[in-house]
Amino acid sequence: MDMSQYLSVFVDEAKENLQGLNDAILKLESDPSSQDAINEIFRLMHTLKGSSATMGFSKMSKVCHALENLLDKVRSGKQKVTEDLIDLLFSGIDMLNDTVENIENGGDDSELDVDEIMEEISKNSKAASTSSEPEKTEEAKEEPQGESTKNSAEKNEKNSEEVEKTESEEMEFTNDELEAVRDVAQKALNENLNVYKVVIHLVKDSVMKSARMYIIFHRIEESGGQIIHSVPPTEEIEKENFDTTVELVVITSMKIEEFQNLISNVSEVEKVIIKPFDLKENNGISEEDKTKKAEEKKNPSQVKSKAASKVTDSAKRRAKLTQSVRVDVEKLDTLMNLMAELVISRSRIEETLKKYKIKEIDESLSQLGRITLDLQSIVMKIRMIPVSFVFDRFPRMVRDLSKKLNKKINFVIRGEDTELDRTVADEIGEPLVHMIRNAIDHGIESEKERIGAGKPPTGTVTLSARQEGDSVIIEVDDDGRGFNKEKIIKKALEKGIIQEYEVASLTPEEIFNLTFEPGFSTNDNPTEVSGRGVGMDVVKKTIESLNGNVYLESVEGKGTKVIIKLPLTLSIIQALLIEVEKNVYAIPISAIDSTLSIEQKDIKDVEGRKTVLIRGEIVPVIDLREIFNSEVKNEKADLVVTKYKEKKYGFIVDRLLGQQDIVIKALGKLFKDVKEFSGGAILGNGSIALIIDVPSLIQKALSR
Amino acid sequence: MAKKVLIVDDAAFMRMLLKDIVTKAGYEVVGEASNGAEAVEKYKELKPDIVTMDITMPEMNGIEATKEIMKIDPNANVIMCSAMGQQMMVVEAIQAGAKDFIVKPFQQGRVVEALSKISK
Repeated sequence: MDMSQYLSVFVDEAKENLQGLNDAILKLESDPSSQDAINEIFRLMHTLKGSSATMGFSKMSKVCHALENLLDKVRSGKQKVTEDLIDLLFSGIDMLNDTVENIENGGDDSELDVDEIMEEISKNSKAASTSSEPEKTEEAKEEPQGESTKNSAEKNEKNSEEVEKTESEEMEFTNDELEAVRDVAQKALNENLNVYKVVIHLVKDSVMKSARMYIIFHRIEESGGQIIHSVPPTEEIEKENFDTTVELVVITSMKIEEFQNLISNVSEVEKVIIKPFDLKENNGISEEDKTKKAEEKKNPSQVKSKAASKVTDSAKRRAKLTQSVRVDVEKLDTLMNLMAELVISRSRIEETLKKYKIKEIDESLSQLGRITLDLQSIVMKIRMIPVSFVFDRFPRMVRDLSKKLNKKINFVIRGEDTELDRTVADEIGEPLVHMIRNAIDHGIESEKERIGAGKPPTGTVTLSARQEGDSVIIEVDDDGRGFNKEKIIKKALEKGIIQEYEVASLTPEEIFNLTFEPGFSTNDNPTEVSGRGVGMDVVKKTIESLNGNVYLESVEGKGTKVIIKLPLTLSIIQALLIEVEKNVYAIPISAIDSTLSIEQKDIKDVEGRKTVLIRGEIVPVIDLREIFNSEVKNEKADLVVTKYKEKKYGFIVDRLLGQQDIVIKALGKLFKDVKEFSGGAILGNGSIALIIDVPSLIQKALSR
Repeated sequence: MAKKVLIVDDAAFMRMLLKDIVTKAGYEVVGEASNGAEAVEKYKELKPDIVTMDITMPEMNGIEATKEIMKIDPNANVIMCSAMGQQMMVVEAIQAGAKDFIVKPFQQGRVVEALSKISK
């Protein structure tokens, strides 16, 4: 069977299973008595074992199996949940994770070091076993069928020895037995019941044969039959000490044919030979055998042809029953791109048709508008995944870090069902890893230090996500030592990031954000965990490349909060088009609070900054006409009020042009240092509008 | 009329694999369930001819589900899907009323054999 078609499903589900295992083991660690957690771990491990075995990844399934056995001991209370056990489980999960990743990248499980984990497991079992029984007997108890792959070879040899023995036994009864059986058989015959000698052959590679035989025994008994003799004896069958053949003497009211069906309708039964039990003879299966065999062979072929005729309509049926489809992300990207093109085309058509003012077309045009809008939102929704996709890996990471650094951490996750574009989610993982590491390594103090500072000994790190308009806000918050402004300034001066004269004008926020500058490091001794500083500028770059931004808030002694703002989607946004000096610019709607018309006289100078009084609130304004070097200043202008960090800032523009969906196109490498614009957009008339990056522009204007 | 099959397994991967095997063999997969409780509900709703039933599942395991299904329909045809080493559970399932079992990793031929034998 070609299994490659199932590979991606296998990988996806294996990853889910491993993530589930991670979560459940963490739960078990925090509550070693949790039966739920143990059961969950056991179940997931079991699923993983089955799937990997089915895919033919035998090493992987071997490791799962060994871990499953270990877990079974835990479940039955034979083994205690110790720190070592948790560590062992985690390292096992890690190995499996690496293997799945390897498989995903086109490899297999050949690199999995089975011996290493086996050794660990056996060490652990020995050390932590609460039972005084020696290991070997326990193993045997656990696996009466010897189905552990480790000793299956051994077992097979043993089996074949047994086989010879049983086969030689098979055709003969011992004298005493024979007498007893004959007695019972005679009585049954007297009561007009049938006594058959039944020889059952299982297929050669049948597994779990004792359970298979149990079905047969069960069926015979259910049908009112009675087994008066069995070779090998039932105890041996239970222990699976037989090859593939079992011989029974059965009392039943059924006819031979009926009885034959009863047994041969169990799967993995290759053939059943039934003949009336001969009171004088007892090994009479010879000539009849051959004809029966031939008959039996007809059956499977009949089944096959039956099946073949039905195959034709199967495809139709399958299509009807499919409820969900897995799609390659690349296809979604293409869909998104096409969607973007469609939006541009629609805008262009709209633009062109406006000139002619044709009434008849208005309705269909607005309908087109609605449809594209719906399409767009659906395409966007398809691409959205919950942030838990990214967050799920962190509890484990925090657990490992807190162990390594010997700091007690209470890790809180909030809003993990907030949704985010798949591409954004893919990219945001690494920056978050970095920030959480920083929070734990540098933010959270040692236990001693915390107690000294009158804080609870356990540090709290909170990772939260929420949607705000067209953005997703992700925050990493710690209650650690916070940033020391003086130290940052000193460092920034040393590194030449700022100059002495700039220091006085820096706001606290600006000071904290210096840590995002390339080459900045507040930590004199970068640790193994986080080389602090090296990555912070990379973090900022990654987030900015996603059209997001990041900033820091910190109170010395109280903690630090890193705030990341990301767009919900990357390529299409709603924007307000504005005009300054005959040039069109776009401001993302998500950044806008309100708009209003003003006159030149409304602009007041307060302490050297321009402000406008809006409904009793003094709002600082930025005159875009000045920033974009406009020569004329009309008496009348429009004000676009934006929000930045909960504060209002106004932008003075020549006029508002209206709201439109725009497709963001990157400005390209040449303009990578231009911070004020996050990109460009092609407008309906084919011209280009620059998209204003509101936070950057505000920052720039304020620093003037 | 093709025989109707309900596939019960908590792993989507296994369901997909089984569905392909079962469909190729000419049966109609009328439904899938990812746990025992869902299986019982689907059984009532869909009245399948055959159920393939995984043992280890969340919420309600395959043995419990088999018991429930037998209460609804004493003639239900339930095939257990067992992993190596689950002998005891298989025996329990048979006592509960399951008629046959197949062993993971599945071999196509074995699955088809069990299906055709149970529907005779």
